[in-house]
Amino acid sequence: MNRLRSLFLIIILLFFSSWLGVVVYSYLELGHLKSVAGSDGILPPYYSGQAILGARVYAASGCMTCHTQQIRQLDVTHSDIDRKWGTRPSVALDYLRDQTAFLGKRRMGPDLSNVGSRLTDPIWYYHHLYEPDQVTPGSIMPSYRYLFHMQKIQGELSAQAIPLTGPHAPPPGYEVVPTKDAQDLVAYLLSLKHDYTLPEVSAETPSAP
Amino acid sequence: MNNATTLSKIEPASYLSEPLPLDASKRLEIDRSLSVPILFLMRSSFFSFSLALFLISICAVKLVFPSFLDGISFLTYGRLFPVAYDLFIYGWAIPLGFALILWLMARLSATPLSHIRILTAAAHLWNSALFLGSLAVLAGYGTSVIFLEYPNWASFLLFVSFLLMGLWVLLLTQERKERALYVSEWYLLTALCSFPWIYGTANLMLTWGKIQGSAQGPIQCWYAGSLLQFWLTPIALGTIYYLIPKITGVKIYSYYLALFGFFSLLLFSGWNGLSSLIGGAIPAWMMSAGVVTNIMLVLPMIAVVINFYWMFQESEKLILHQSPALRFVVAGIISYVIATVLSLVSSFPCFNAILNFTDYLSGTFLLFFLGFFGMTLFGGLYYFIPRLTGISWSSSKLIQFHFWLSVFGISLMVSSMVLGGMIEGVAFNDPVITFTNILSYTLPWNVLVTLSWFLLLLGFFCFMRLLVTMRWEMIEEKLPMPR
Repeated sequence: MNRLRSLFLIIILLFFSSWLGVVVYSYLELGHLKSVAGSDGILPPYYSGQAILGARVYAASGCMTCHTQQIRQLDVTHSDIDRKWGTRPSVALDYLRDQTAFLGKRRMGPDLSNVGSRLTDPIWYYHHLYEPDQVTPGSIMPSYRYLFHMQKIQGELSAQAIPLTGPHAPPPGYEVVPTKDAQDLVAYLLSLKHDYTLPEVSAETPSAP
Repeated sequence: MNNATTLSKIEPASYLSEPLPLDASKRLEIDRSLSVPILFLMRSSFFSFSLALFLISICAVKLVFPSFLDGISFLTYGRLFPVAYDLFIYGWAIPLGFALILWLMARLSATPLSHIRILTAAAHLWNSALFLGSLAVLAGYGTSVIFLEYPNWASFLLFVSFLLMGLWVLLLTQERKERALYVSEWYLLTALCSFPWIYGTANLMLTWGKIQGSAQGPIQCWYAGSLLQFWLTPIALGTIYYLIPKITGVKIYSYYLALFGFFSLLLFSGWNGLSSLIGGAIPAWMMSAGVVTNIMLVLPMIAVVINFYWMFQESEKLILHQSPALRFVVAGIISYVIATVLSLVSSFPCFNAILNFTDYLSGTFLLFFLGFFGMTLFGGLYYFIPRLTGISWSSSKLIQFHFWLSVFGISLMVSSMVLGGMIEGVAFNDPVITFTNILSYTLPWNVLVTLSWFLLLLGFFCFMRLLVTMRWEMIEEKLPMPR
């Protein structure tokens, strides 16, 4: 193997095998999946404009560093579904509408694929983002206070004011309200519901053995 | 010397790690031509490494005390952590790896480097893109794609500057005067040629242009796996294949074993990243390919380790004790073996179900990254820097401190991550245990990990101290400062 040209050729050929197999295949097959017609509209459903903006806040805050968005298949593990993080395993079609697929690699917090189905109260999200350890004692999630601002109460309390009790509660006469970014982020989180039925995977899960 | 020249006439030249008959003045000419860009790349990589260590230590403290520096947008864990990793990879591993490629390729092809200005300019461009990209991620413009967090303009600039630098080395191989191709060169050329390709492809599909979300998962994993197997591993192996024969004077034990190790690495790499999507939203055959290749990656490991082992057996034992470079290299090889075995275990679907998404996988990655790649490259630096500057290391005690602090820090970190990850994984699989309970199990391990990051920081300070002394010596002796 003393010839430079043959070395280059071999490097390129072997390298291309994985490139073709993973990248090109994914792009051609998974990258061209089509949405399907479900009983209640097109599946997977579109995100609202606000949720799309919220996904950008999700990316900017690096939520993906600690939260995954994937429910594993039942022949590998039942734990994701047993923990009630989803009703069925994730499939490629679930990520069809995502600008960036936030699969995540590490779980320092619960999976968020279906957080919008589990928790439906926006005020809960605001409160949790503002002081996580007060809402979920023992949580190691950092506070996202920078997504909120404090303002003087004008007349009566705003509808979105957070009921705060912890050390970061506002002084009397003031309230803490979410910024536009926080509202977008919560709209995105509320729209994370992958519990519809797709042809390739049904929401009816076999009970754990 | 005489013996060696006759040997190289009979046997394939690849038996040796370097053209031995290179005379001293020629060697000096090559080293002189290289010292400016290489020292620049090294200096900036050391700066990024210390910054990354500092940021990751803050992140580690945050895991133990979540309220530490919280509520500040640019210091939030989700921004700081990716920036620290990006600095490790694009600020340290790639410039440093590139500096070693440059030096080894010039030495191995016996050709001095010309027109270094373009190279230095490209390195400056790389650093600016890195700096601005990191600031942009901290400011909230990150893409949230693992290892590709930089916004598209920054990653494009990184790509262009790497192409500029890489083409320079390729031109060097074209002009080379030495016609034989050495084992080190196989690995280094692989790293050099594949990085722009994987970085370009991944960015093209994930950040510059965005393909449909349903296809992004496998490509994200392919990139992370390829970075490990097409950049970190070949550079570390190329360095070891150069250093051991060079320092001990023993030729490479088996040419065919080296050949097998090289091709099997190329064949199975790239696919291995898919193993992090076991149970995920990908076709079943992709999952199997990930599992199988991750298991098969033991083969190239065994092949190179047998080769290294016999080379050490044949060499004089005294050299092993005296050379700081070899000591680091041995630590690197041991890390490679352990990391490959750990990653083999986690790629069996039954174990992966427990270990996925836990610190076990982060620990395996860090053992590859800091243990195998990091220790090997520090070994290389202890060999190369005195030859580049013409000044020997001032204190063997500090080298020992650096070595033992790193070894102890990495062992403590990886063992606590692996053990903590196993406990975490078993707890994950028992739905009766609440999530906050799991977090309380991982807390003591996180304390140990924090401690070990500080140990690594301390070890790196010893290394920096050695470099600073070297610089003062240069000024005092009025040697031409490499600028």
